[in-house]
Amino acid sequence: MIQLTEETRAGWCIVGVRGRVDAESADELEAALRAAIGANGKVAANFAGVDYVSSAGLRAVIQAARAAQGKSVEFTICSMNAHVKKVFDMSGLHQILHIQGELPC
Amino acid sequence: MKGHRALWHNQAILREAVFSLNGNLKELGRLAAEVSRFCRENALTEDAEFQLNLVLEELFVNTVRHGGCEGVENSARVRLRAVSDGVVVEFADRGRPFDPTTAPAADVNAPLAERPIGGLGIHLVREIMRDLRYERAGEWNQLRMRRPLAHIDTGEQPIS
Repeated sequence: MIQLTEETRAGWCIVGVRGRVDAESADELEAALRAAIGANGKVAANFAGVDYVSSAGLRAVIQAARAAQGKSVEFTICSMNAHVKKVFDMSGLHQILHIQGELPC
Repeated sequence: MKGHRALWHNQAILREAVFSLNGNLKELGRLAAEVSRFCRENALTEDAEFQLNLVLEELFVNTVRHGGCEGVENSARVRLRAVSDGVVVEFADRGRPFDPTTAPAADVNAPLAERPIGGLGIHLVREIMRDLRYERAGEWNQLRMRRPLAHIDTGEQPIS
């Protein structure tokens, strides 16, 4: 179960994500990120409220990043907690995604 | 039970959780709750809870999405045991034969455009768990593995 919010700040569309990004909720996240990427030049996913992620969540983020790359949209994932960050790192995603400790603005 | 002997002298055996899951992704909430309770009862870390939950989700979701377990009642069985050097996990499912120990792993070094979308779950299971052993027994896939207590690269301290 996840809760999603969206706000615009200093030219960035910030998608706030809270809860558990698992096989049940990952599609909802991917749809929200794709929608934001389709309508903005700069998108940041705020993962501060994410307390769990599985490979389904990683796939959602990878697909969103691909969509962003195709549209030349800047896309970054921010503020992951240590447990979530470890799952991204174990999957080698720190090499291909823009992962930041803090929001860009 | 006649002749049944109390197991109180062996805490490693007492500290276990056993549960079944139906072939439906709605079971993920119950899976998380069972893992959480087991970890609380055994004073395991948040890191352990997160990773046990993750490993079990990956295996379970595979059986529902690819193993033919969708809609099957009690399609998976889980047993968790806290032992001196970690948690022994047994995961059994009635899906089609699938050996996660030999399945091709995702290439985690591929660039974004070529990054495969499948195989990430199995990759994570193998990253987190040790001593994986698979066998097919009748209509069941049976996987046994161990999550070390002080996990590599986490800096996590074992709880004494």
